[in-house]
Amino acid sequence: TNTYHLSFHVQAEMLDFLLFGALISAVDPVAVLAVFEEVHVNETLFIIVFGESLVNDAVTVVLYKVYISFVEVGAENVQTADYFKGVASFLIVSIGGTMVGLIFAVILGFITRFTKKVRIIEPLLVFLMVYLAYLTAELFSLSAILSMTFCGIGANKYVEANISQKSRTTVKYTMKTLASIAETIIFIFLGISAVDKSKWAWDTGLVSCTLVFIFIFRAVGVVGQTWVLNRFRLVPLEKIDQVVMSYGGLRGAVAFALVVLLDGEQVKAKDYFVATTIVVVFFTVMFQGLTIKPLVKWLKVPRATNRKPTINEEIHERAFDHILTAVEDIAGLQGYHHWRDKWEQFDKNYLSKLLLRKSVYRKSELWEAYQKINIRDAISVIDQGGNVLTSARLSLPSMASRASFPEVTNVTNYLRENGSGVCLDLQVIDNIPGAKVEEDMETHHVLAGNLYKPRRRYQSHYSRHFMPLGEQERQDREVFQRNMRSRMETFKSTRYKRHKKERSLKKVRRIKLQVTSPPTSSCDSLSLCSDPVVVPVETEDKAEHSDPEKDEDVGITFIARKAETPKQRPKSGCQIPLLPPPPPAPPSPPPASSSPTSEDSHLPWKGSLGSPPPCVSLEATKIIPVDLQQAWNQSISSLESISSPPAPAEPVHPRVSALSRLGGPRPASYTPPGSAAGSTFSIGPQVSQGSFLFPDKKKEEEEEEEDVEGEWLRRCSRSCLP
Amino acid sequence: MGASQTRLEHNYDDLTEKSGFSHEQIKNLYQRFQQLSGNNEKISRDDLERIPALNNNPIRKQIITAFFDKRNQHQNDVGSLDEIGFEQFLMVMSHFRPVNSKATEEEKATVRKQKLRFLFNMHDTDNDGIITLDEYRTVVEELLSQSGAIETEVARAIADAAMLEVASTNVPHMAPDDFYEGITFEHFEQILKGIEMESRMHIRFLDKNAATMRCGKLSS
Repeated sequence: TNTYHLSFHVQAEMLDFLLFGALISAVDPVAVLAVFEEVHVNETLFIIVFGESLVNDAVTVVLYKVYISFVEVGAENVQTADYFKGVASFLIVSIGGTMVGLIFAVILGFITRFTKKVRIIEPLLVFLMVYLAYLTAELFSLSAILSMTFCGIGANKYVEANISQKSRTTVKYTMKTLASIAETIIFIFLGISAVDKSKWAWDTGLVSCTLVFIFIFRAVGVVGQTWVLNRFRLVPLEKIDQVVMSYGGLRGAVAFALVVLLDGEQVKAKDYFVATTIVVVFFTVMFQGLTIKPLVKWLKVPRATNRKPTINEEIHERAFDHILTAVEDIAGLQGYHHWRDKWEQFDKNYLSKLLLRKSVYRKSELWEAYQKINIRDAISVIDQGGNVLTSARLSLPSMASRASFPEVTNVTNYLRENGSGVCLDLQVIDNIPGAKVEEDMETHHVLAGNLYKPRRRYQSHYSRHFMPLGEQERQDREVFQRNMRSRMETFKSTRYKRHKKERSLKKVRRIKLQVTSPPTSSCDSLSLCSDPVVVPVETEDKAEHSDPEKDEDVGITFIARKAETPKQRPKSGCQIPLLPPPPPAPPSPPPASSSPTSEDSHLPWKGSLGSPPPCVSLEATKIIPVDLQQAWNQSISSLESISSPPAPAEPVHPRVSALSRLGGPRPASYTPPGSAAGSTFSIGPQVSQGSFLFPDKKKEEEEEEEDVEGEWLRRCSRSCLP
Repeated sequence: MGASQTRLEHNYDDLTEKSGFSHEQIKNLYQRFQQLSGNNEKISRDDLERIPALNNNPIRKQIITAFFDKRNQHQNDVGSLDEIGFEQFLMVMSHFRPVNSKATEEEKATVRKQKLRFLFNMHDTDNDGIITLDEYRTVVEELLSQSGAIETEVARAIADAAMLEVASTNVPHMAPDDFYEGITFEHFEQILKGIEMESRMHIRFLDKNAATMRCGKLSS
């Protein structure tokens, strides 16, 4: 490591240098993480370097303590036995730290199994248990970092499965924030110490030699160890990997903390060491950290692929594991897969039973993977600003038998059906070749006259002094009516006690509007306005649902619903009562929760024709099992809530031809093809659509709109009464 | 054992050429073969099924069948055998050989194709060259069968979704009434091109005799 006589200023002996060497050679996880996160190298490389930095904490701690004690005792008094004790203590510290971590991992997994009723404390539990693991290890002078690391590694699988999605998000982002803060503080401290001259003493020789040597010897160490490793590795580490590994060995705060903790009395050269450490840390972090990215690019290091696996790949990954295990068994080898399989058996039969929540335990990994893919696709659709439902219909390649094939099994397929990906222009109908083109055209013409324009455009027309009626009013009226209808429906279905079960299934209550097809301005042409029956009983429902939601919602989220279970049949849509507008403006969102009926019942033509709803939904619900439905519902409802609302979704089902048959000014703008009522999860801001009914709108707008509502109500009640 | 071994030695070079294993590895595998077959010339399905470690494997049936599948013998036969000799045993095992890192790109591509072909044959049980929806469903159901609580509907849904995915990736613009027959080998290659075959379908066949020593105690 360092030579004995560097210069005449530094009074240091072998042991002091050994001590210094121990603390300066350790790669720092904080620095590595900070830099490598920017660089995005491939996973293997990242894990190697980052893993090294984590695990070497044990080594650093042990070596440091051993050498400190040697220094205190004095070089002369060190006996051979002490060296062995040093080695032994290394083993104890590292293994002990790991065990502590694993014990706490088990405890954490076990506790989270029961937190279903107290979701709010889940993140807290996670933090506390991990911190407890850290403290316990510190208490026993074991390696605290190892303990924390293995606690996290061990508990990951079970905790992730047990806690809710929100808790996961919370934990993730809180940890990131805390980590950021901690890193910043440490480097600030580092910087301040650098400036404070009293704390260090400069020695050029020591500094320059240290810089050169750490680089050289790290490279030597990496190359040597890689050579040994490559004899055992399936995929050997290339030269490039080795370069990145040696270059990526950044020193950081741990070294600095350790050097500052040195006792100045015992170690006379402390100040010089401090100075050197500061320089080393600065140099590695800044110079190496800054240049590693161009280096990685120049060397063409394989980067991390962020490509998520497709469902086929997921299936085959699992198939591979089983195949390889079987072949290994047949060939009589106790290879890697054999042991891995054994571990998985053990995990499945004992650990998972103990640590996983029952409901999670029964699902298989493949299914979870499938769910995740669905949800992920749904999210990506939203992010692109599209609306799943605008993307046309299902032109299903019929496989096997058409009847048995589920029309929509997941969002990916749903999207891929039209081949052209997500459609950003909400008013475009995809051009699907084939026999359905004609139907498309009809639909298109019908819809074109009645499509909602995206709300945004209205705001530009808005003038304080003049509120143009017309389109906006029509739209507002329709929206308003939808509110009413949905409330009525919810009320009705609660009366029929249909959706009690769904309610309990929902994780998050959100207020949703059932988007149903709105009536045209000439409401008398439809049967919808026929029953302006005020149902006072509705209010209690409203109260029941709206309270928990009020604080959550900013406004109304428009979601198209679908029939959730086959049990629900569309009721004939002729009884749409009008409810009085909720007293305060903005009106409180109508009770959402579980989906009552399919709003399809509200579609005028549906009502009159009595035909089943344009259901992808219905058929799909026959086929999609309840479990999948829920997740699917979630994905769809979140989709809708974020995408533009009364989007001109052309009906998805082929039977939409019913639409064209009816003719007339059908307001078909928003048929809910395959939408689901259901909980949404907090993907992003639930964008409240439109300017309608927002609390942050201008007062005048609200008042005017209320007026409009009232006006229309009056008008309707007059003209629409049967 | 002595007589058969000398006989075998003559064939080593032949076998090495065909399967790509080294002499050591072939010897080890031969010993294993003897164990499995009870010192007979041929292995039957029962011999393989008796291996206790395979009991936990959800797709053991398919794998055992794969050993007896003629298509995996690098010849153009179809159908299945009732018993296999050592040579055929080796041929099937050769699908799992690690790729020689010094091989050329072309050789690597060939090996990869072979491995994919093995997989494909495993799924395509009726030998018609296409994986139909039903066959794929069976695959998924088998894979999920171990978790118990998964209903067939869910398995079907997953299989259907996967199938759709294949269809849409390979045949992006299908007319609504088109019938997607099933996954052909080309489509199969296409959808799995993201997976790195080299480290996936790869077993370390040990060279040392120690391997077979160990397995002598373990195997049935």
